[in-house]
Amino acid sequence: MPMTNGLRVTGLRKRFGEIEALRGIDLEVPRGQLVGFLGPNGAGKTTTMRGVLGLVAMDAGSVTWDGSPMTEDDRHHIGYMPQERGLYPRMMVHEHIAYMGRLAGLDHATADGRARQWAERVGLADRGNDLIQELSTGNQQRVQLAVALVHEPELLILDEPFAGLDPVAVATLSEVMAEQVARGASVVFSSHQLDLVQDLAEHVTIVAAGVTRATGTVTNLRAHSPVRHLEIHWNGSVPNWSPPDGEPRKAPAGVSRFVVPADSDAAVLIASAAATGAVGAVSFEPPGLDDVFLELVSR
Amino acid sequence: MVKEVAWREIRTRARTKSFRWITGILVAAAVAGPVLAAVLPDNTDDDRREVTIGLVAIDQGIENQIAAFAEAGLDITFRDLTGASAEQVGQALADGEIDVAFESGPTLVWNRGTDFEIAGVVNTVLQQQALLARGRALGLDQDDIVELLTPVALEERFANEAGESEGVTIFVSFLGLMAAFMLPQIFGQLTMMSVVEEKSTRVIEVLLNHLRPRTLLLGKVLGVGALAVVQLVVVVGGLAAALLATDSIDIPAAVWRFVPIILVSILGGLAIYNTLFALLGSLISRQEDASQVMMPIFIPLMAGFFIGQTAITGNAESLLVKALTLFPLTAPMLLPLRVARDAIAPWEVALSLGFLVLGVWGLIRIAARVYEFTLLHTGSRVGWGQLVRLSRGATLD
Repeated sequence: MPMTNGLRVTGLRKRFGEIEALRGIDLEVPRGQLVGFLGPNGAGKTTTMRGVLGLVAMDAGSVTWDGSPMTEDDRHHIGYMPQERGLYPRMMVHEHIAYMGRLAGLDHATADGRARQWAERVGLADRGNDLIQELSTGNQQRVQLAVALVHEPELLILDEPFAGLDPVAVATLSEVMAEQVARGASVVFSSHQLDLVQDLAEHVTIVAAGVTRATGTVTNLRAHSPVRHLEIHWNGSVPNWSPPDGEPRKAPAGVSRFVVPADSDAAVLIASAAATGAVGAVSFEPPGLDDVFLELVSR
Repeated sequence: MVKEVAWREIRTRARTKSFRWITGILVAAAVAGPVLAAVLPDNTDDDRREVTIGLVAIDQGIENQIAAFAEAGLDITFRDLTGASAEQVGQALADGEIDVAFESGPTLVWNRGTDFEIAGVVNTVLQQQALLARGRALGLDQDDIVELLTPVALEERFANEAGESEGVTIFVSFLGLMAAFMLPQIFGQLTMMSVVEEKSTRVIEVLLNHLRPRTLLLGKVLGVGALAVVQLVVVVGGLAAALLATDSIDIPAAVWRFVPIILVSILGGLAIYNTLFALLGSLISRQEDASQVMMPIFIPLMAGFFIGQTAITGNAESLLVKALTLFPLTAPMLLPLRVARDAIAPWEVALSLGFLVLGVWGLIRIAARVYEFTLLHTGSRVGWGQLVRLSRGATLD
């Protein structure tokens, strides 16, 4: 395999008693790239992330950074935002961010400066002296993001970062993630909000039942889908037409929708439809990420 | 990193209202005792027992002598019963109008039993009067008689210096025992709560991204331990300042000899119990489950405290006390008081301290090993069997 700059996870396996949580997870997060890490609940996303962080010892597989096995020192350059928020309720916002910065190796002055900078960036500049427990869930999540970023990590691991955020916070987090990628950091995040993932991430890795099912760009995954979505807008009444091997889907009035095999000839289908009624507009496209995801995880 | 963790513990805990209130109350109590004792009026007069003596036969001057002799302990009033019949005297005694009647003879008449304090005073005065009368009959003048009757001043000295300051020694030993018993409980539980808080809030996942479990454990034990020392110093400092300022106590040199051993023992106790509380805290994920795992810690604590209490004034050299002085979990309570009582050989002190240091070191090693596997464990608590396997180097399923 070619050497990868950034994170490379190969063949991770982990068993918890009778449960085989990971059965062969592969994940790549090159430097300067944002990767969506997708999978249903219990697929092994969090366990994989914890394996990368060294929080859980793996039974098999490897985790490398810039082509070499990840060391304890490398892990100091990881920023982590856990799925369940991890903050001290009785610490103040500024104090908390600065403390985590010092634990990551920053000196006092730098940690203080960065804490102020990140509190401002995530919109909490005026809440620096408030206790964490006095903040709303959304604002606590902003603090969590600042904690993950205060030491300017080379690898950012975000476990369900958008869960429970309002649209403004989602926009802020999306901007911050894009900024981190722009400065060359590797960013991997998990999310169940597939529309968001499709907008943000060029690359995704989809896992299910502890195994990587697919990895690649969103465009490629969609293109490699074995099905296509056919949508026909009729002028006038909707005729009783359906394509061969097509599965009808629910559609609004005046519109027909079908899922057809990817190797279907669009021109033939359109001609066949036009022979039964007045066709207004046609779209013949690969499925969206959500359909690709459902198809992959249900195999 | 250990320093960072320790400072966070100190800062966070020190600014909680509960810590400030408890420290404030303890300091106030320590200072208030000596200050109030010095400021409040002496109530000695009010404490004297009131006694009424009925004088059936009046002896010249006996009233003044009895009153003067009994001044320290009895507040005596005399009632003139000259010429009273035996029935009248009996009635006065029965009615409680008088406590005793003094008749010629000389005879003391009681209602029922003898009050030995009153009898002793009257008897002493009568003896002195008799001796004076006999001395005069022998031709001695007043000065000769006084010289003759002056008792020999019996002085005392102590072959063991500690004997001179035994009261203060017992007091300081008891304070040391209380501190060695209470501080590990209070601050050990704080350590445990801190571990559980990090697990329940999941902040542990972020911390372990940057810290080794051993670093986190050491920082926590040292931080909370330092806070305990600060509280101890503030409270004892307040007490010492109040005692010295009010001139309530003269701390003998012998006491200063064993104060360092008290401090070392308290520090050792805090280290070993804080580590133990942290270790057991890592087995659970919720504060509500703390009582399930704490019980075993209280067994050595209670044993050390109760045996220590008996050893302060009782036998400090029994086999049990000697054995528990060498056991690291009870040594912090028993070692200082045996040193204070001068009931321990130097080699035993060295061995006890050595075992204590080894105990702290060993427990930190075991706790760090267990910590690695239990810190991220959530849900049901880790069982005792699993704990034993982890401490032997196994891993959790």
